[in-house]
Amino acid sequence: MSLFRDLAFEAGVVARSLSDYVNGGALRLGVTGLSRAGKTVFITALVDNLVNGGRLPVLRAAAEGRVARVHLEPQPDDAVPRFPYEEHVAAISGPERRWPVSTRRVSQLRVTIEFERVGAWGGARAQSLNLDIVDYPGEWLLDLALLDKSYAEWSRETIAAARAKSRAPVAAVWNSFVASLDPAAPADEATAVKGSELFAAYLRQARDTTYALSTLPPGRFLSPGDLEGSPALTFAPLPLDDSAPIAHGSLAAMMERRYEAYKTHVARPFFRDHFARLDRQIVLVDLLTALNSGPAALSDLETALDGVMHAFRAGRASRLGAIFRPRISRVLFAATKADHLHHADHDRLEAALKLMTSRAIARAEGFGAEIDVVALAAVRATREAEIRHGGEILPAIVGTPEAGERIDGQIFDGAAEAAVFPGRLPDDPAAALAGDALALPEADNAWRFIRFRPPVTARGAPPPHIRLDRALQFLIGDRLA
Amino acid sequence: MNDKPPRPRAFRLDDHRVAVDDAPAPLAPMATIMTQRDPIPLDVVEREVEAAQSAGVAKRRRLSLGAIAWIGLGGLLSLTVGLWIDSLIEALFARAASLGAIASVFAVLLVAGALGLLTREFVAVSRQRRIAELHAALARARADDDRDAARALVARLAALYLHRPETARARAEVEEARRAVVDGRDLVDVAERALLLPIDRKVQAEIAAAARRVSMVTALSPRAILDLLFVAAQVVRLTRRVAELYGGRPGLFGFFALLRSIGAHLAITGGMAVGDSLLQQVVGHGVASRISARLGEGVLNGLLTARVGLSAMAVCRPAPFEVDRPPGVADVAPFLFRKGKGE
Repeated sequence: MSLFRDLAFEAGVVARSLSDYVNGGALRLGVTGLSRAGKTVFITALVDNLVNGGRLPVLRAAAEGRVARVHLEPQPDDAVPRFPYEEHVAAISGPERRWPVSTRRVSQLRVTIEFERVGAWGGARAQSLNLDIVDYPGEWLLDLALLDKSYAEWSRETIAAARAKSRAPVAAVWNSFVASLDPAAPADEATAVKGSELFAAYLRQARDTTYALSTLPPGRFLSPGDLEGSPALTFAPLPLDDSAPIAHGSLAAMMERRYEAYKTHVARPFFRDHFARLDRQIVLVDLLTALNSGPAALSDLETALDGVMHAFRAGRASRLGAIFRPRISRVLFAATKADHLHHADHDRLEAALKLMTSRAIARAEGFGAEIDVVALAAVRATREAEIRHGGEILPAIVGTPEAGERIDGQIFDGAAEAAVFPGRLPDDPAAALAGDALALPEADNAWRFIRFRPPVTARGAPPPHIRLDRALQFLIGDRLA
Repeated sequence: MNDKPPRPRAFRLDDHRVAVDDAPAPLAPMATIMTQRDPIPLDVVEREVEAAQSAGVAKRRRLSLGAIAWIGLGGLLSLTVGLWIDSLIEALFARAASLGAIASVFAVLLVAGALGLLTREFVAVSRQRRIAELHAALARARADDDRDAARALVARLAALYLHRPETARARAEVEEARRAVVDGRDLVDVAERALLLPIDRKVQAEIAAAARRVSMVTALSPRAILDLLFVAAQVVRLTRRVAELYGGRPGLFGFFALLRSIGAHLAITGGMAVGDSLLQQVVGHGVASRISARLGEGVLNGLLTARVGLSAMAVCRPAPFEVDRPPGVADVAPFLFRKGKGE
């Protein structure tokens, strides 16, 4: 059964790759990131800078003036909504200056870059590169880690994680409910509904910025899309007895069937349609929220990233493989929101990201993919300054903090500008990962990163960025050479 | 004793106890906030030019073993010549006092002339080096958006053209911008636009004229050795002309240093410049050579002359190309790319 399903899955991937190849190969850029990592803002800024001629001096083709025109085209998949790029630009650069609301569904965009290259036999040759980008709720990405897990494995892991000391305050209600369940009891819909509701409530609370946990599959429990209330979403992990097989007609059997249905109807198609055929990948990681929360949130983020990266196929693409089994040849790990700290700290942020993703990096390198790590800000909301205060000189950033953000006893109203010294990251990134504290109060952390509103930008001009061009050069620069 | 890292903190800019940049502030502000400028990294083209300059015109000479040997040899040779002159004058005095006096006058003239030449060479080399250093400093000031540095450097740039009446207006414009409240980056741009763009146009015209002459003479000349000599002469003339237009005065040694820089620039850019490539140039040659071998050689020589001229332009220019992109061969010598008709 499982073998058959795997074969069918592979066949589906191959069929789609083939049809892509026949329809004119586009470069599929996978923008990967858990929720709130900044995928939507990254895509919006990327497209905005390319289409409206933003400053991209590090992107060679742009700096050399070889990019003739960049425009948006209808995307290839008719069944997928278009990425509402204009709306997001309006939200960021408009008078409201707010970040796009969190993504609730999949959307897609195709960017065509018309550029010229020096042909092999001389003369400038006009070429174009189609860049396909997909945006989706980051929560759904967590499902990729489920693809290889059986219900029993997943149940065991999830329940063990919920009982961990650091998660205890979030998971108290859920843990007491699970303790009362008997997996061998006859299947009962009311129990299943209650269980899944409590489970979802626990996941949602754990994702909250106070805790900033990341390993919280299944993703649709956090962002159900149009599946809310369907049986595929009405299940929960159970404290299974490993020795006994799951009895027919029991609560456990019903849950297991639904879990498998979730994998078949939700997780697998999502992966097949959007991730199985990527050429390049950027993994956006919001380290700052996890840093605010504490070491446990960081190691949780590390686990989540590793689980996600496990699902991808990275490696050098061969000519034939490009048709049938595309592989990701370049992976860029990016710590987003680098504008929330002074550039003197960017190296430390990159070091921390490198340490966090070392497992995923080793995995991708083993397959022969090129890897790079960068600290970037797709939209730069701050400028830099130094604060002289009480005999100290502190590197700081100046911007408009979001309403309700607090630091050092100050609460911001979302209108006033402020110079913020967010603290210093440790020289040794391992120091930030030590311990298992979670949801640390501000006073216990040596740093505090607060969110800023988008910057005031000139009309029509793309907002400033940090190293977006470097990311682009790494991801698509070779195809524009 | 205070080992604890500073705590995170924030200051509202509208707080009346906080001083921000140059805005009016209380006498003893609780905190002072100074906005910093972000540096822009130097781009590839600029780094190439600076590398080429440091290989020749801006090279800092250190005393190498070879140089010591040359100094020794030079000293001995000068002494030999001195001895010879001395004995010549003595011999002439021995023959007739008047002859000796005339010879002494000539000897004085010789020494004075040689000293003058040496001084001029020295001045020329150091002037060329100053231009290269100005180039690098302007690039830095622009990248760091350093207003004070830009003010000083722009004044030096304008001083290069003090003796050119046609730059009077541009110099006045730069002086005005220097006094106004202009950011460092913008000030450098203003100066480049006002002072250098008109010179750029002249330089491009010179390069075009040289390329045209070379390609025409090569196409018409009966002997290969003749056009080789002609190309060499044209390249020398063009290089001097470009350096002079930008405010340098290469003498003999300065010219050699300049040639080294141009060679380095050609090697670094690998015959490639923005918007064109050697391949494209050679294929242009291929198209022309199908029509006539002589014509094809003419086009090729013209292209090479233009490439050398462009490298000379990049190396001699006292400021980096920022306002406009650096010109390519196709910009200065479009006539070489016209297929079929050639000239």
